[in-house]
Amino acid sequence: MERIHSLYVHVPFCTWVCKYCDFNAYAVLEGLIPPYVDALSREIEVAAGEHPIGPLETVFIGGGTPSLLTSAQLRQLMDRIGAIGFGPGAEVTLESNPSNVTAEHVEGWLTAGVNRLSIGVQSLQPEALRFLERLHSGPDAIAAIGTARAGGFANVSADLLFGVPGVNLAAWLDTLESVLAEGVQHLSAYELTVESGTRLGQEVRTGLVQMPGADDQLEQYWAAASRLEAAGYAHYEISNWARAGFACRHNLAAWNYQPYLGCGAGAHSMFRLDDGSTQRRWNLKGPQAYIKQASGLGHALDGSEALSPERARGEAAMIGVRLLGGTGAAHGFPAQRERLVGAGLLVEDHGEVRLTRRGVELANQVGAAFLA
Amino acid sequence: MSTPTHLTRAISVIAHVDHGKTTLSDRLLEYTGTVAPRDMVEQVLDQLDLERERGITIKAQAVRMLYKADDGNTYQINLIDTPGHVDFSYEVSRALAACDGAILVVDASQGIEAQTLANVHQALDHNLKIIPVVNKIDLPQSNPELVREEIEKVIGLPAESVIFASARQGIGTKEILEAVVREVPPPTGDSNAPLQALIFDAKFDAYRGVVTYIRVLEGTLRRGMRIQMMQTGKSFEVDEVGIFRPEREPVDDLSAGEVGYLIANIRNVRDSRVGDTVTDEARPAAAPLPGYRHVTPMVFAGLFPTDTEQYEQLKEALEKLQLNDAALVYEPESSAALGFGFRCGFLGLLHMEIVQERLEREFNLTLLGTAPTVEYRVRLRSGEEIPVDNPDHLPDPGQIEAISEPMVLATIVVPSTYVGNMMELSQERRGQFVNMQYEPGDRVVITYRMPLAEIIHDYYDQLKSRSKGYASLNYELVGFEEANLVKLDVLVAGSPVDALSMIVDRSKAQAQGRRLAEKLKTLIPRQLFEVPIQAAIGGKIVARETVPAMRKDVTAKCYGGDVTRKRKLLEKQKEGKKRLKRVGNVEIPQEAFMAVLSLD
Repeated sequence: MERIHSLYVHVPFCTWVCKYCDFNAYAVLEGLIPPYVDALSREIEVAAGEHPIGPLETVFIGGGTPSLLTSAQLRQLMDRIGAIGFGPGAEVTLESNPSNVTAEHVEGWLTAGVNRLSIGVQSLQPEALRFLERLHSGPDAIAAIGTARAGGFANVSADLLFGVPGVNLAAWLDTLESVLAEGVQHLSAYELTVESGTRLGQEVRTGLVQMPGADDQLEQYWAAASRLEAAGYAHYEISNWARAGFACRHNLAAWNYQPYLGCGAGAHSMFRLDDGSTQRRWNLKGPQAYIKQASGLGHALDGSEALSPERARGEAAMIGVRLLGGTGAAHGFPAQRERLVGAGLLVEDHGEVRLTRRGVELANQVGAAFLA
Repeated sequence: MSTPTHLTRAISVIAHVDHGKTTLSDRLLEYTGTVAPRDMVEQVLDQLDLERERGITIKAQAVRMLYKADDGNTYQINLIDTPGHVDFSYEVSRALAACDGAILVVDASQGIEAQTLANVHQALDHNLKIIPVVNKIDLPQSNPELVREEIEKVIGLPAESVIFASARQGIGTKEILEAVVREVPPPTGDSNAPLQALIFDAKFDAYRGVVTYIRVLEGTLRRGMRIQMMQTGKSFEVDEVGIFRPEREPVDDLSAGEVGYLIANIRNVRDSRVGDTVTDEARPAAAPLPGYRHVTPMVFAGLFPTDTEQYEQLKEALEKLQLNDAALVYEPESSAALGFGFRCGFLGLLHMEIVQERLEREFNLTLLGTAPTVEYRVRLRSGEEIPVDNPDHLPDPGQIEAISEPMVLATIVVPSTYVGNMMELSQERRGQFVNMQYEPGDRVVITYRMPLAEIIHDYYDQLKSRSKGYASLNYELVGFEEANLVKLDVLVAGSPVDALSMIVDRSKAQAQGRRLAEKLKTLIPRQLFEVPIQAAIGGKIVARETVPAMRKDVTAKCYGGDVTRKRKLLEKQKEGKKRLKRVGNVEIPQEAFMAVLSLD
């Protein structure tokens, strides 16, 4: 089995689950946090003993809202992770809500070993924040970025949402401009996606909410892309931009089809076996079930699937094409490449392929081409 | 266990679809102890899975029952279950010809329907004694008294002869059996006369070859006899004769009046045609039995594998299916749009659906069927007349002198409220009014002479929807008639798609072209590029629509945990696409090829 250098840790708790969110997240289960951190530590310990892992090049603590952990809980977790061993210059990301970015927290996170902070800004427009059910205000979010930077974070990312009903192009670009003015190193801009199992999904289905049309969504997307490029951010993945040297190494590893270990409720792992096949496995989703299993058995495996080397290559290409700098992952698919180049969705460049502008808009069509 | 001739009866059960024919047959089998209740699979007589699922009978079945009547005698009752759909009306007529009586089942809430009338007329043509039964009297909305009155007034059977029954609850079963032995005459044939046995169905058995279902009308059929099929002239040696109880049970001989089967190493159902007369080669009958008709398909469509590599499999599957279905004809066809496939001829739309479904299910094929069409007769300027069963094969207009199309006489039975709607629909469909008759029970029987092509284009569905489901339809072919027809072509992304061509009435062609283009626009999914759809008559574009290019298909987030879900989603979408047929660069769904059927 190929050695693993990336670790994802999931913290599924939130103060409030926003209506558009379909992540594995649960509101008001905060009493479960201490036993959860214990169970998580145990899972990490056991997994590290079972699989060839480390030194760790990247760690990503995501959620949910991992910034709900106290400094002590985070330190407990980081100590356990640290026991695996870090490579030199390892990237350790923590996701946070703007409201949790206080000077005390920032100090605690840095002390615990976190060196990259990803802040869920989403928007600065009051109407949009209300629509999205975010608990912070625009000024809170701007202040959070400032606090993180002032407290010593040299690698800060902001998450933004566009295509929010009621937010026009100018308002969206205003949000973007204000966030850029705070000097973030990295920015993720996601189109607001309607997921069927969410309250937003229901509101759209019943006609209570009307989403903007594809033309408006794409207009906001490409306007942001131009602005970010002009500001010196490289568009390295469909929804991600970074200043030179600040692309998220953890996510890059996954997009480049590198194996990773995922721990915590509902977390996925990807292992690569010596015969070129891929194994994907995932944990129990519910926090209580997870705590029970992981603290007892040392793991909380729910299911897994094995992909033959051929299917694994297709999956690698499906993900790889999302990297806008180009990928070699589609190498084994000459017929598909030719068709997609002919359709104007891909260009070939030094043996690699890369999405065209139209290809970005139809990236799923491109990705699907490599699947059986 | 041979029964004297005067205690033998042969009957059939006739009914409109869904009026409870099969359930009643099941009850008769149970009541006479032919099938033990514990072995009773619902609908014993419908043997195909498809028949059981759809609740319809496709092939005729036969069974011999023994019934001890109130008069103390044990009667042999031969029950022949007939197909219940207009597509199979010839098969029904042959099954009826093999009987002396018929149980007529009429639903106590629906009353008399078009097929009821058609069946009764057929039964009367064969001089069958009819035993009227009003079924489903247990249902709350039933009105048995009214239906009884209707039977007397419309069909002319005395009201007091009508038996009330509920096949589901077993009510009236004994009364029906008593009426059968009392009313239906015994066979009149002479067992010593030269053999005349009527073939009313045939089935292919993988181990024994063709099993021929027969009723011996004159003479005796024995094992070992050399027989001759009087219509095809072919001879065979009889390996086995037997009866149905309901499984096959060999006997030494079948004599005049008996119903059973013969096995004679016949390799193809084509050599054992429904309606043919089996005779003794050594002492042949003077003439075959009347009423034989060479069954010809009425409806034609192309069947193409969506995956071109399945062509050989499709060919083998058709060969196998044809062994058991003499009405199915096919020949290789190649379409510029759809590749290699087969032009198939069917008895009607149901037959077509059934064949396609069986091919897909039993042979694991994914097929694309083109819109059904009728067979036109085209008279060329050269004087030659050619049949055209594929619109794309219509000769150049300059060569055509005239085109004739098959006509049917359609009988519609409907409550009087909907008469206007029915007439309007039939007139829209080029129908010529023939007759209208008001019947008791607020029923009207309307007859129209109209092109078969109009019937297969959604006419029945329209009939149903414009009568809130009350109208019923039956039709019979009445010949060919000249009509002013033109070919309508469809171009998708600039290239003609032969499989979408249709032959239409000239006066309606332009409007049809517009509607077809509009309809195709809604059916062809957005592609990576813009797809123009054009309809053309004789090279002149009469309509144009455009399917806009796909605007956006991109997932915003695709991180580690999202990958499995996303891959599965894309794989599923891709699986769905396998039902699409790639024509040039455009992926066209099956429904698009059927769009011509429902343009109103």
